[in-house]
Amino acid sequence: MKRFPWEVIPVLAIGIGLGLLYAWMIAPVRYINTTPITLRADFKDQYRMLIAASYASTHDLARAKIRLELLGDADPVQVLSAQAQRLLASGQPFDIVQQVAMLADDMQSGVAHIPPTATTESIASVEPPTSTPAASLSGTVAPPQTAPIASPTIEIVSTIIPLTITPRPTYTPTPTAGAPAILLSNDKICNPNLTDGLMQISVIDAHHHQMPGIEIIITWDGGEDHFFTGFKPEIANGYADYIMQANVTYTVRIAESGTPVPNLVAPACTDSSGQKYTGGFHLTFQQP
Amino acid sequence: MPRWLYSVIAIVIGIGLGLFYGWVVSPVQFVDTTPASMRADYRADYVLMIAEAYHADQNTDLAIRRLAVFGSNSPADIAAQALQTGQTIGYSAEDISLLQELTRALQAYQPPPTPIEGTQKDSAPTGGAP
Repeated sequence: MKRFPWEVIPVLAIGIGLGLLYAWMIAPVRYINTTPITLRADFKDQYRMLIAASYASTHDLARAKIRLELLGDADPVQVLSAQAQRLLASGQPFDIVQQVAMLADDMQSGVAHIPPTATTESIASVEPPTSTPAASLSGTVAPPQTAPIASPTIEIVSTIIPLTITPRPTYTPTPTAGAPAILLSNDKICNPNLTDGLMQISVIDAHHHQMPGIEIIITWDGGEDHFFTGFKPEIANGYADYIMQANVTYTVRIAESGTPVPNLVAPACTDSSGQKYTGGFHLTFQQP
Repeated sequence: MPRWLYSVIAIVIGIGLGLFYGWVVSPVQFVDTTPASMRADYRADYVLMIAEAYHADQNTDLAIRRLAVFGSNSPADIAAQALQTGQTIGYSAEDISLLQELTRALQAYQPPPTPIEGTQKDSAPTGGAP
């Protein structure tokens, strides 16, 4: 029986060492021609914010959808809503939060709520590039193709906007300074499945868009608290809630401008078995 | 069999195992990349988004900050490159116009002068001794 040729082991090790030297020092991997789906998480956040900023300018929902698809999010609406909440919590400017939240809202409804400036509009859609980078032996990706294939192609689609929509020259999603928020509804809620004393507040704008980031002030005898809409995107971007104590009279108002809603006392409710519990309210404010 | 042949066979087997591992077992996955590494058409679309936002807010500083993700090239060069890509791959006239607007604004942009330390005259202290 022949002995094992142990002398090949150092040869193999030298070969591996040379390979690593080449791969790590001489020609390290450079990522080129990547796609948005591979971006780092913070760059994806920036990408979404930019899509939202662009959408706020163009109101082109089809294009925004296609761009969001490039990021590969399983549920773009949820991701956008969550990002809006993070921006809100980190104290980002309201208009940035509003742009992201507005895109989330419109994505969810499937309708661009911003009226166009004419009775017809051109909707340009970007088709996502279909080719994927081909990995070469060294781990790099293939050089850019010079031919205009697999590139964003622009398709003009004329869409007739119903005449019932009144064209508006501009749209300002921020609350109108000085215009008081009005109370649209104040409903007493007796639902044993909800938390006792739950005050639910929804804030919408004139177009019935949910409005995140709206500060709400609640006062009671000897106390005051502030909270914001938008921290429960799973319910709505313009939603906020507060737990009331029984037998305490509260006054609620929108911080920026709003007529106070006084004399809010958690109602006493009775369930089907005759058991008493503390109910709540659902207040809906509208910012003109 | 000559002994050198063992070495050659060992290297060939090693390369084969390496390729199998690299391509089948654990292929390269591109993660955590930056916008600068994106393919030219994606970069152009990114710049187009900046141009669309710029068209609405006319905020050159903000556009420059947004373009900073593409690295150390000048913002005007980045926009010009995107414009060139857009023309090559057939962007609509409207999109080309937006990119041109952004490029012109960036080329004409003059950063606000920053005071250079030591060039300002020392002002006399106010108050104090008569």
